[in-house]
Amino acid sequence: MDILWWQILLLTLYAGYQILDELQIYSSLSAPVFAGLFAGLVMGDLKAGLIIGGSMQLTVLGVGTFGGASKIDANSGTILATAFSVALGMNPEQAIAAIAVPVASLMIQLDILARFANTFFAHRIDKLVDEMNYKGIERNFLMGALPWSLSRMIPVFLALAFGGGLVEKVVAVLNGDLKWLGDGLSVAGAVLPAVGFAILLRYLPVKKHFPYLILGFTLTALLGTVFTNMQLLGTGVASVVKDFSGIFNALPMLAIALIGFALAAISYKNGQMIPNAPAPKKDDASNDSDEGEIEDDEI
Amino acid sequence: MTKSNYKLTKEDFKQINRRSLFTFQLGWNYERMQGSGYLYTILPQLRKIYGDDTPELKEVMKTHTQFFNTSNFFNTIITGIDLAIEEKEGIGGKQTVSGLKAGMMGPFAAIGDSIFAALIPTIFGALAANMAINGNPTGIFIWIVAQIAVMIFRWKQLEFAYREGISLVTTMQHRLTALTDAATLLGVFMVGALVATMINVKFSWAPSIGDVTLNMQNNLDMILPRLLPAGIVGGVYWMLGKKNMTSTKAIFIVLVVCVALSALGVISK
Repeated sequence: MDILWWQILLLTLYAGYQILDELQIYSSLSAPVFAGLFAGLVMGDLKAGLIIGGSMQLTVLGVGTFGGASKIDANSGTILATAFSVALGMNPEQAIAAIAVPVASLMIQLDILARFANTFFAHRIDKLVDEMNYKGIERNFLMGALPWSLSRMIPVFLALAFGGGLVEKVVAVLNGDLKWLGDGLSVAGAVLPAVGFAILLRYLPVKKHFPYLILGFTLTALLGTVFTNMQLLGTGVASVVKDFSGIFNALPMLAIALIGFALAAISYKNGQMIPNAPAPKKDDASNDSDEGEIEDDEI
Repeated sequence: MTKSNYKLTKEDFKQINRRSLFTFQLGWNYERMQGSGYLYTILPQLRKIYGDDTPELKEVMKTHTQFFNTSNFFNTIITGIDLAIEEKEGIGGKQTVSGLKAGMMGPFAAIGDSIFAALIPTIFGALAANMAINGNPTGIFIWIVAQIAVMIFRWKQLEFAYREGISLVTTMQHRLTALTDAATLLGVFMVGALVATMINVKFSWAPSIGDVTLNMQNNLDMILPRLLPAGIVGGVYWMLGKKNMTSTKAIFIVLVVCVALSALGVISK
């Protein structure tokens, strides 16, 4: 199956929109998981899109744009991986490691380029300030949208329009001669969220809140095992007993989040009870000087 | 010399908010980051305060194109305080305003990034991703609703900051610290929960010692379920602490190591 022209058009337009959304309004329509939903809908396979988008979301969980450092472009990666995965029948998890991650990190270079290009408009604005040309200032400021959008739209368009043949060959090799590599990439796709979690822990004050890390992990590990085993049991029983009607669902993450929220609320209330505690000042200092903080995310 | 008589109206606040919410970082560049964005959001109001084509306006426009970078979730708090001063003092407040902008952009960037760029995307993003991987898009819509709430918050803060003025900085600091503290606690808890659910990999290595085949995964499960994912995250965390390590490098290292271990038959999905 080929990628149709209107699919290329929609995905390219979304690629241009998502970066503007992320920079300004931040509506979460620019999140990888939404990119997966959108690309999945456009390509006609929602499930593949959600799997790829969801995994990429977890991989970049801790990678915010701190202080203007470029981050890997998980959205463009998700769009391309979903498109090719659906069009060429590639296993979604393989597509994450083989397409989404490499594309996402290559796109860092284009993000840097866009940020450089905008310096040009900043200098034009300086000149226009001298001339008191208000309309010109506003126009040149808004034109900054062009480098941002085009830096995403052009590569996504080119890849969708001309990359299919190459990706097709790669997929054939991964499922044929290099099966071990294809399987390995699937495993890597499943493990990548670990990097997202680790990065996040680097940014969060882990040392201060470590009991909650243990609590969250243990609680979920135990309940998760119980729920999964129940599901297995349910399926097993259903296949033996004809009119077995019990339905067992997976562990609802929202419930876990609510427990966490309750703990946070307790801590907030306790914090409010001791006004002017000397603690805040000390925390700021220790957060900043935490050894091993990631300074920037550029290659 | 000219003290302005212009008072900002509801319309002005709406215009600033619109510009901030939809265009603030369009002009982001390496040299002065959000400098031109700061000017753009308040340009119409500056023109009203100082009057078109006056030397004061030119001077103040130059001040506002200087380097500026803060959280785009809190920028209008600084804008609000700034405009309250400029409206009262005119060009005479230039020094105060420059100092204020330089002094507040750092702290607000730190708080804004940790709450809005890290925590909210973590909690809602993790929920959405977790549901998405199971084929359910509901979580994505929950996240959109949460972001709309954030937008309302961003919209309200400008007028609030304008009314409170300078005193806001001190009163807010205490409450924000407690809030950041509670929010990071929730973040840490959630990461723990995510480690236990979202990394689906297990040992497939089953060495035979004499007649006994050792099922590694089963043995580990008896100690504590999900020990392997916890070990992987711990390993990556440690790796990120090394010098010259970036998140992108870490992603590729994990990729290569996983492919290698999978090829050797040590781990599988």
